[in-house]
Amino acid sequence: MTKNSFEKDIETSKELPPKLDIPILKYFWQSNPLFTSNKNSIPRFLRKIKVLENFSDYELRLLSKALHLRQFSDGETIFNQNDIGVGFYFIFSGRVDIIVEDDQRVSDSSNESKLNHVVSLDKMDYFGELALLQQQSVRNATALARESCQLLGIFKPDLENLINTNPTIATKLLQAVSIITANRLFSVTNEVRRLKFKIKQLESQNANSN
Amino acid sequence: MQTAISKQEKVRLFAFFLGLVLFLFSLSLFPRVTIPLSVAYVISLIFNPLIPVVMRFGLKRSTSVNLVFTAILFLFTYPLIKITPTVTSEAQNVQYYLPKVESFLKTEYRNITERIEKRTGYVVGNDLLDNSLSYGQKATTEILLQIPKYLGSIIEWIFLVPLFVFFILKDGKSFKSNFLKIVPNSIFERFYYLSHQFNRQLGDYIFAKFVEASIVGVIISTGLFIMDVRFALLLGLVAGLTNVIPYLGPILGTVPAIIFGLAEYGWGPTFGAITVLYVVANSIDIALVFPILVSKIVNLHPLMVVISVILGSTFFGVMGMVISIPLAAAFKLISIEIYNELYGVKSR
Repeated sequence: MTKNSFEKDIETSKELPPKLDIPILKYFWQSNPLFTSNKNSIPRFLRKIKVLENFSDYELRLLSKALHLRQFSDGETIFNQNDIGVGFYFIFSGRVDIIVEDDQRVSDSSNESKLNHVVSLDKMDYFGELALLQQQSVRNATALARESCQLLGIFKPDLENLINTNPTIATKLLQAVSIITANRLFSVTNEVRRLKFKIKQLESQNANSN
Repeated sequence: MQTAISKQEKVRLFAFFLGLVLFLFSLSLFPRVTIPLSVAYVISLIFNPLIPVVMRFGLKRSTSVNLVFTAILFLFTYPLIKITPTVTSEAQNVQYYLPKVESFLKTEYRNITERIEKRTGYVVGNDLLDNSLSYGQKATTEILLQIPKYLGSIIEWIFLVPLFVFFILKDGKSFKSNFLKIVPNSIFERFYYLSHQFNRQLGDYIFAKFVEASIVGVIISTGLFIMDVRFALLLGLVAGLTNVIPYLGPILGTVPAIIFGLAEYGWGPTFGAITVLYVVANSIDIALVFPILVSKIVNLHPLMVVISVILGSTFFGVMGMVISIPLAAAFKLISIEIYNELYGVKSR
């Protein structure tokens, strides 16, 4: 009786509902650009960073396991100048200001040390790389969160663990960090050369005028 | 620039430290969980250095943990099954030897007191011997009476400890990273680095102590075994276990062997051989193993070590002696950090 009615139902119904193809649906769901599961988004984010070019996708996935995602609210200090630092940060979202305070205080002026805004860093920028390399690294500048931002930090202990467990990844990371420092060193050398030239110029001008 | 800590951050800091203190306090309230957990933690610290070694062959973390864990189980189970019957039979034999030891001690004591009386005329009396003997008997019977009570929890531990060890080895890293998520931003870097340093020191120390104790135990056991002395295994085990206690341990481990050797063999060549064996084993330990393995790890002055051992024993008994050095090392780390913070020492 029931079977009959069921068959009848099928015969009489004009069109069956289209079959749901779960795998295809899942594929479209996951390829959605707004789909952000942490598992996928961090390696994908790291893929876009230029200095990490030499990492394979798999290695980036392993590296992302060693990273710590930290949340900072607007105006929060990430680290202070002259602190001892152990971490190297990538900006996952938000904006970070790097600020240098002048150590020399002018005695007659206000007691507050002068603040120099150095640079604003955006998404996919990085800072603090010297902390990974130096033995007891002292921060050269203060980092402030300028929006609520998410940082991906890798710290000395993580690097030590990586060296022990995944030497390839640790080597590639250190290679990336040394590329960054080498670039900075190159620009610093250029700057020094330029300044030296300027000093020489000024000295000769001085000698001429005297 | 010392920016003022925001209110939200202050709340976070307070909540974090409150949570930490409450957690530690609750651990001390439930020893049935805490003891197997800490035993498992110590064992996992001993074997943790093996995992990176295995992982370097290109294995995944879970696979290498499984491998190491199976190796640990084999390493522990096989000798336990082989050795336990021998040790139990030896321990059972000890009770038949105790009267012999007692009578030996009495005669020796009488000889000595008589000699003292002859030389100086001072009567020592039997109180000292009787007191110490009755104390020894009492202590032994107490320990024997406590055994059934502990047996239940030991059986519980046999199942719990391997389980804990496995999961600490396997998921310890993710536990740690989850815990680090709640560490407030303003102390994160410092906290992470300090806890890492402390953990590594503790792990290295425990690993080194484990190796040291096994070396001493094996040397003494094999030496006694070659000399065909009774209770070789048991005495080696005692020497290894007591070796964990710094400075005092070797002496504590030697005492039973000396008493037993005198009672069993008298002032003969065998006793001399036993003494030489203990001296050699301990000097190998002190001259070679200790400086190479242990003292490099916990960078403490010997005076500090002795003081911390004494303090540990007054507060927590024998257990305190064992854990005193790691605690002292942690204290040193933290105080150096505080000193650097207060005095602004920024060494490069």
